[in-house]
Amino acid sequence: MKYKPSWLAKMLPSPSKDIEHGADLDKGYKNFSRGLSLLLTILVLVPLTIISILSHYQYKQLLQKDELTQLMLNMEQAQSTIERFVSKLQSIIRFVARDDRYQDLIVPMNLEALFVRLQKEHPDFADIEIIDSEGMQKSYVGPYHLKAQNYRDQTWYQEVLLRGVYISNVFSGFRQVPHFVIAISRKHPQQEGSWVLRVTIDGKTLQRFVDTISTTSVDDIFLVDAENIAQTRPQQYGEIGKENVLYSVNKTISSDISRFLSKHNKLLPKESDIIVQKNFNGREVLHASVQLKDTPWRIDMVKELYLQGDAWSSFKIRLITIFLCCAIVAVFVILKLSEGITNHIHEADKKRQQFLIEAENANKLASIGRLAAGVGHEINNPLSIINQKTGLIQDYFEMSGDFQYKESMQGALDSIQNSVVRCKTITHRLLGFARHTDVQTEEIDINVVLQEVVAFLAQEATYSQIKICFELDQDIQKIFSDRSQLQQVFLNITNNAIDAIGSNGQISLSSKKIDQETIQVKITDTGMGMSPEVERRIFDPFFTTKETGKGTGLGLSITYGILKKLGGIINVQSEIGKGTTFEITLPVKNS
Amino acid sequence: MGKEKLLIIDDEVEFASTLCERLRLRGIDTTDVHSGTEGLKALVEIAPNIVILDLKMPDMNGIDVLARIKQHDPDIEVIMLTGHGSRAAGILAMEKGAIDYIMKPIDINELLEKINFAYEKHNNA
Repeated sequence: MKYKPSWLAKMLPSPSKDIEHGADLDKGYKNFSRGLSLLLTILVLVPLTIISILSHYQYKQLLQKDELTQLMLNMEQAQSTIERFVSKLQSIIRFVARDDRYQDLIVPMNLEALFVRLQKEHPDFADIEIIDSEGMQKSYVGPYHLKAQNYRDQTWYQEVLLRGVYISNVFSGFRQVPHFVIAISRKHPQQEGSWVLRVTIDGKTLQRFVDTISTTSVDDIFLVDAENIAQTRPQQYGEIGKENVLYSVNKTISSDISRFLSKHNKLLPKESDIIVQKNFNGREVLHASVQLKDTPWRIDMVKELYLQGDAWSSFKIRLITIFLCCAIVAVFVILKLSEGITNHIHEADKKRQQFLIEAENANKLASIGRLAAGVGHEINNPLSIINQKTGLIQDYFEMSGDFQYKESMQGALDSIQNSVVRCKTITHRLLGFARHTDVQTEEIDINVVLQEVVAFLAQEATYSQIKICFELDQDIQKIFSDRSQLQQVFLNITNNAIDAIGSNGQISLSSKKIDQETIQVKITDTGMGMSPEVERRIFDPFFTTKETGKGTGLGLSITYGILKKLGGIINVQSEIGKGTTFEITLPVKNS
Repeated sequence: MGKEKLLIIDDEVEFASTLCERLRLRGIDTTDVHSGTEGLKALVEIAPNIVILDLKMPDMNGIDVLARIKQHDPDIEVIMLTGHGSRAAGILAMEKGAIDYIMKPIDINELLEKINFAYEKHNNA
């Protein structure tokens, strides 16, 4: 089944594709880490933000509803208090103006006696007067000299005749004191027409009631008439007797709260009106207004929005703090997590890649091994025939007497035999590469082996002005391994080092004890170094950077094979222009 | 005590015949055949006391031929010829009853030493 990478895996760099460019690979992993962080951050922060915004709005609505409910309660209370007060005043006046008392009350002495009694109960009653059915004032008791007034053409007189009761707006009149009037009309018992009892009441009485119901939970409370003229003294919003500022300022209605208010219509009492508007400071206020039954007045209440400002700001601060803390912790954890995951994948990829390279090397070695075995075997047979034929000729020579050139011919035959021996060594080495030659283990002092190898090459190094120095651990333990194969390993590497330097340079050979079971040899040169691409391929059979004919490309491949067989490990570090270090780790005993 | 009678079994005709000739020059009664089957036939016809046997032949494996020789006459001493440079193959042959092994290309003096040793052993058997 074909492996289909998931969308997340597609974000990962492909080490097999990108290995040629180490920098790109690193960038690829960084991009993956960034992508993963971004994705996780979005996954965490989006729900967190949504929850925070929802909480914000839910809590805001809750506060608004609470605020509105509170205002409505206050308003209903104020409405019923004032209505009851006005109704009580009306009842008193109705009571004293019984239909049959007209004759009695037009006598100034009687009216005065009534006024004195009324004033005992209600000191705010300013004056009292009786008006006949023609609108003529018949009797008056009060501080002013209002005698023989005719009210027939006045609106209030018409209204009281029509409705039976009249309550005026608060006005100053010539008294220069705010006051209002309650008038009651009564029919004459035995004749046509109605007479009217008119009482003037000091405006302070209304103000007192309004002051009584004023609480700290509202900013302002006052009465207005139908023309929005303030009937009682507002604390902040305008003056008594003038149009209320809230009705005159530009009514900028904040749409969201108005929409919100529409949801709570059920909360509002009948004939009430509630809006959100900006006051003279530009702050949003809740302005509620309700008509007072049987009066020309409305009661207005003003309350700054979010009176529970402290609760609201503390909620907002808490919400923002929690959000920020969560976001910071989440981002920190995500960054660490992404970095960890990416590093883990990077490490795993590296190991996998290493393993693949090793497997590839092993595979190549196996192939070259088979090839070498075939070649070795095929050459070995004709070589044996040459060997035998030469031997036979030599036998015949020994049996025959002297003849011309016998000695030269014998010399030539010896030379053939010597060449056969050399070829035999080569075929055995080839077969050895194919692992057909057994490892001959003996006790070896690795320092001696290194010195022997250098002795082979000392002359060549001197010609090329290459200094060879040793850093040998004199206490290093002896190992059990194959001397000649190790010689070949060190010879190959040192030879390559000489080639890499060319002339003028240094080769250092060092030995070190790693632990009881392992030793390490390092061969460092100050040569031209290798690119990562070359470094990756140096153990490949037939891979060479030397000129054609100068290198077979088998040296390091054989070295790699020998070390594998001896249980060793070879590593290489190289930097262009600086040089190369081969690090060989060998077991004390190859198990 | 008779004389050593040697049989060379090797598919490489030139090698076998030349080696045969060289041994004859040294006074050893030697015959060469060039396949496993011929070799087994020659056992009856020639009755050798020493056989030089190649490990790899096209018709029969040297180890199998060795087993048949030992089956036919356990006193016949066999020296294995190994062509592919492995001690392991030689050691295996020795485990199966060969007296010794020698790697190609061979040194005639080394082979003569091994023949002498084999003959001595055969006579002591």
